[in-house]
Amino acid sequence: MKLFTFKGGIHPKDRKERSRGKSISFVYPSTNSVTIPVTMGGSPNTPIVNVGDQVIKGQVIANGSGPISCPVHASISGTVKKITTHLVAGGAEVLCIVIEENKENPDREKTMYMDVLDPFSLSREQVIQRIKDAGITGMGGASFPTHVKFNYPETAKIEHLIINAAECEPYLTIDETLLNEKIDSVLDGIQIAQHVVSAPAIIALEANKSFLLNSIQEKINQLSKDNKLKHKIEVCIVKTKYPQGAEKNLITALTKKEVPSGGLPFQTGCIICNVGTTIAISESFRLGKPLIERPLTISGDGCSNPMNIKVPIGTLVGDLIPETIQLEKNVVKILNGGPMMGMAMQSADFPVQKGTSGVLFLTEKETSTSNPMPCISCGKCIEVCPMQLEPVLMAKAINAGEIEESKKRGLLDCIECGSCSFVCPSDVPLVQTFKLGKKILRDNKGK
Amino acid sequence: MQENILNDIYLSPGPHFSGKRKSWQIMLMVIIALLPECVMGVVYFGIPALITILVSVASCVLFEALFQKAIKRPLQINDLSAVVTGILLALTLPSTTPIWMTILGACFAIVVTKGFFGGIGCNIWNPALSGRAFLLMSFPVAIGSSWVAPKSDALSTATPLANISNYVNQFASTNECYWNLFIGNHAGSIGETCILAIIISGLFLLVTRIIDWRAPLMMILTCSVCTLLVGKDVLITLLSGGLLFGAFFMVTDYTTSPVTKPGRYIFGFGCGLITFLIREFGGYPEGVMFSILIMNTLVPFLNKLSKRKYGYGLKKQSAKKDGGKA
Repeated sequence: MKLFTFKGGIHPKDRKERSRGKSISFVYPSTNSVTIPVTMGGSPNTPIVNVGDQVIKGQVIANGSGPISCPVHASISGTVKKITTHLVAGGAEVLCIVIEENKENPDREKTMYMDVLDPFSLSREQVIQRIKDAGITGMGGASFPTHVKFNYPETAKIEHLIINAAECEPYLTIDETLLNEKIDSVLDGIQIAQHVVSAPAIIALEANKSFLLNSIQEKINQLSKDNKLKHKIEVCIVKTKYPQGAEKNLITALTKKEVPSGGLPFQTGCIICNVGTTIAISESFRLGKPLIERPLTISGDGCSNPMNIKVPIGTLVGDLIPETIQLEKNVVKILNGGPMMGMAMQSADFPVQKGTSGVLFLTEKETSTSNPMPCISCGKCIEVCPMQLEPVLMAKAINAGEIEESKKRGLLDCIECGSCSFVCPSDVPLVQTFKLGKKILRDNKGK
Repeated sequence: MQENILNDIYLSPGPHFSGKRKSWQIMLMVIIALLPECVMGVVYFGIPALITILVSVASCVLFEALFQKAIKRPLQINDLSAVVTGILLALTLPSTTPIWMTILGACFAIVVTKGFFGGIGCNIWNPALSGRAFLLMSFPVAIGSSWVAPKSDALSTATPLANISNYVNQFASTNECYWNLFIGNHAGSIGETCILAIIISGLFLLVTRIIDWRAPLMMILTCSVCTLLVGKDVLITLLSGGLLFGAFFMVTDYTTSPVTKPGRYIFGFGCGLITFLIREFGGYPEGVMFSILIMNTLVPFLNKLSKRKYGYGLKKQSAKKDGGKA
């Protein structure tokens, strides 16, 4: 079979065997409370509940008025205890709503979902409205609101709906486990998305997940035999290479087209969607259920029982320790996300959000904690950059205060995948420098 | 939970994984790659060659350590870069170089060329080559024309490059001449004569992806084509002097060569062209050293040349499409 791929990239150890094949179990936080950030993707929301209010699972608790705002729902039933700032992924303190389950009469079955709808009898606008009401955002990590993604200009012609199951970050196995366990929901979600974009779909799997190919293909064949498919769905195997799952690179690997600098995927005729998102779309119609639960991988050598779990959104990772997650003594890094683009946290006391695809507990042996040495200009970073930028020269320009020069060299095109820092033989903090450079550019613009 | 996370937790931006190949490992690979040249140099030129290599390496490391200590920087000799400089410098010197001259060359290479400009990664000119250039200009007789033939002590044998027709005429057939040049059985710098060893080392570095093929290939090609154009023997050009040694080990020096791919092509082209011009029209029999040093100066400008980035240069396409629709 032909393997699709892109130019550049790196081959880190995938380390997925630790949590591979572990079925997804639903876990409730031990404290029976959740800390839900008011905004998870889209423009800023404001809380629409007050401290002391009784809320029911599925009820909207925060919303915004802008076209790219995305509502947030209660993920458990209970009482609003606090509305306060709390540490979240990335290290910032943001406004969160703390809901605690009522001690007497904790009715976990009680829900306040939306009406069940048949997506295929609805217009494109109605489908997009439901996706918005369900608070669905991209579940690959960036948390871009899905309804905004589908609301591309009418003049754009969509040729491909790409289902991103590349999962190129090491350790993470949640997408492959979902494809294994919930393939029916995935295919249903794909068909609903196809109803919006009217285009054939491609499920893109990295070669290290090609064992899923046959089971997925069988399901697709079954659907097309029953004449249920209005548009084609096919499975493509892409090369196991990081960052194969980066939106722009996956589009290029599959279609040979490039997203223009500063542009969006629809300009290449592609809409790209994560596996978890398709399930959320399916459930929002079939069950009327908003996005209130999040499947994720827990892994790393610092965790003695790596697993795939599903938790209510807002669950503090610390509340799963030690009842669910057993840790070793030698954890040196706690990551929200994968080891390439994930963020190191100072403690496990942060909530699982809509975009949290994994939490990793790394030991000293498996992570890099070495100090940077001087750059020797070997140019390896240029060889691996998936955007064909020159990281070494961009970083030198930023460090010299020549921010405009680094912009000319494509600073804003950097996708922060970390390939350059990964290969750097001198451990120069390249991505960090680019994040800083982008911030300086933003600040300059604000002035 | 608390008892588990009592040890130090590192906070750092991603990525939290890193590749295996570190700077000192790259330097170690280069040192390994240079061993065949060292061995062949000692085979042809004997103990003096060995002494030159050892003195050069030892003094480079020593000067590096002393300089870092003097300017109160952390000691970084374990990155092995000074060892590489030491070997490279020795291999470009004749085996007859007096020990004190070797030490002086090492001092110039490490302290003046590298240290004064900011240390590893910051120097403009190739340290080993500038060390050699400094010695050649200071002591033109000792470095520039005190050659010995392999396995002899007699001084003042000219290198093949100095008088090519003379050299070729002493052989019964041109093939024999090529063969002698190929295995390095002639007067010259310690490590530059044995082309066979250089090719083995060069291939090793290319296969392990320590060096990039662009600049060396362009240098060799340019020099060959120019030689061909003036109607001279291309094989002699390739096999004599330091062309291949320079192409594989000097032109590919990370710090003093461009990092961009188009820059590397032009860099190699310039090195080849200037080498040819000096050899053909210049006052020195050999031009590799000066050509590389001259091109080193241009590296910041050559780094301005870059290839197309992702998502750029596609405007024409979409403009055409839109135009077609309208």
